[in-house]
Amino acid sequence: MTILTIVWIALSFFVGFVIYLLPPLSRYLALAIALFSGSYALINFGQSSPLTLQLLDNFGVSLLVDQLSSFFILTNALVTAAVIFYCWNTGKKAFFYAQLIILHGSMNAIFICADFMSVYVALEVIGIASFLLVAYPRTNKSIWVALRYLFVSNVAMLFYLIGTILVYQANHSFSFAGFTNAPPEAIALIIVGLLGKGGVFVSGLWLPLTHSESETPVSAILSGVVVKAGIFPLVRCALMFEEVDSIIRIFGVASALLGVIYAILEQDTKRMLALSTISQLGFILAAPEVGGFYALTHGLVKSSLFLIAGNLPSRQFKELQYKPIYTPLWIALVAASFSISGFPLLSGFGAKVLTMKSLLGWQVIVMNIAALGTAIAFAKFIFLPQGGEKTTKYGFWSAMAILLGGLVVANGVYYEAYTPENVIKPLVTIGLAWPIYFFLIKPIILRLPRMLEQFDHLIGVMSLMLVSLFWMVLA
Amino acid sequence: MKIIAMDVMSTGVIAYYVLIASKDGAFTPILSQLTGDVDPIAYADPVPQAVILTAIVIGFSIQALMLVGVMKLAQDNPTLETHAIEKNYTP
Repeated sequence: MTILTIVWIALSFFVGFVIYLLPPLSRYLALAIALFSGSYALINFGQSSPLTLQLLDNFGVSLLVDQLSSFFILTNALVTAAVIFYCWNTGKKAFFYAQLIILHGSMNAIFICADFMSVYVALEVIGIASFLLVAYPRTNKSIWVALRYLFVSNVAMLFYLIGTILVYQANHSFSFAGFTNAPPEAIALIIVGLLGKGGVFVSGLWLPLTHSESETPVSAILSGVVVKAGIFPLVRCALMFEEVDSIIRIFGVASALLGVIYAILEQDTKRMLALSTISQLGFILAAPEVGGFYALTHGLVKSSLFLIAGNLPSRQFKELQYKPIYTPLWIALVAASFSISGFPLLSGFGAKVLTMKSLLGWQVIVMNIAALGTAIAFAKFIFLPQGGEKTTKYGFWSAMAILLGGLVVANGVYYEAYTPENVIKPLVTIGLAWPIYFFLIKPIILRLPRMLEQFDHLIGVMSLMLVSLFWMVLA
Repeated sequence: MKIIAMDVMSTGVIAYYVLIASKDGAFTPILSQLTGDVDPIAYADPVPQAVILTAIVIGFSIQALMLVGVMKLAQDNPTLETHAIEKNYTP
């Protein structure tokens, strides 16, 4: 198992560079890596005890593979495979696949890392790889979006780096285990770095523009897994320490609510999906114990929604009302929207039930409102007309098969959820949400100010978050 | 301009790492035959120095990448004012 882990983690980087040397094989190599990761995650689910590795002495890299990592790795593998299928016939160069696989490998690295320094290195690799993917079309606009992303994430990582050395100073080790021994400013710095990178709450407002303006497959992978790379260390720390857990939960709830309010009022499909990512990340953080499963379902559903949205005839909801959608595409869209709203028979339901169960007392009401808001936001997709002309390609459908098939299969993970009261609750939520959508949301057009999304404010808000987090840790 | 500012920030972080690693009167952490009354553990801590090397390399590569991006942008926006660029490229 140890050897398998090391081979697996090294292989994706190795193959990433090999793709450059063998461009004709790029697609096959990339797909093989994604499948390998998927099978590794499945093997891992079978392991009863978590695997810990300490490479190179006391100061070296420490790895920890458990159920939580398996969920994230599986998400990563499925989304990457789907994106590769989607791009199969689009004539992307080997460069694209090489970056994709390096991104995939560094995300796997994060999901098994157990010390701050390796997480830092992997996060920076992710930043660079996703910069290159976003900038792949090389238009001015995409370069600007990518620059903005890299700048924000690098500043966040600098904060994180300062926190890391403070942890080291207190413990003489970088491992997660010494997190709470560190002074409060270290905890605040590390959390603000990860929140910024992961796109949570106000420090995550760089996310809508980046995710909505990138190419369709890139935004699928960004929204499906890359943001979870920032979330994962937070979930790990929250599970290990009580005091961190309470802070993370507060941010989870706040983020869920903020994201959903923006999402309900948004008129653009891709922006709405990106904003709903912010809110779904909140759901993951609000209940860290079951975050893994929620992350899996969200990763699958969000990347399929992004791939579908890229194939819709228009990006504005207003225009989509009058343009019928090709019927099979419409079915896929509705299935994905149902899953994210928590409708039974799809795994979004199981994940929502699990999350709601592990909430603390004060969280329940707010999170139920956020779930209602999610259902309202996705009612926009469900009530679109169908019956249009065929717009999709073959690769799109194999990607959909992986993602939506994964959603149905993942349903089996938590089949105990199917009790009468559990089934009724989401139905009531959806039943409430649709009338609200029809009578309140649909007629009004309210443009929320995007001031906070401006470049300067993103950095400013990050510093404000740092100060407030510092007081929260002290309190 | 902002990229330069970011570079200054990362230099600050690097300097902080070195500060934590160093102590007054500490030796460079190289194994050698010391003679006399030197305390055998009076070395500067090598670990932060080692890891910050990684961070320096990463920071440098990010600088390079961003500057390439900015050069490309500069062809159409010679003044490189972020406000103007932002207005042009946000929907």
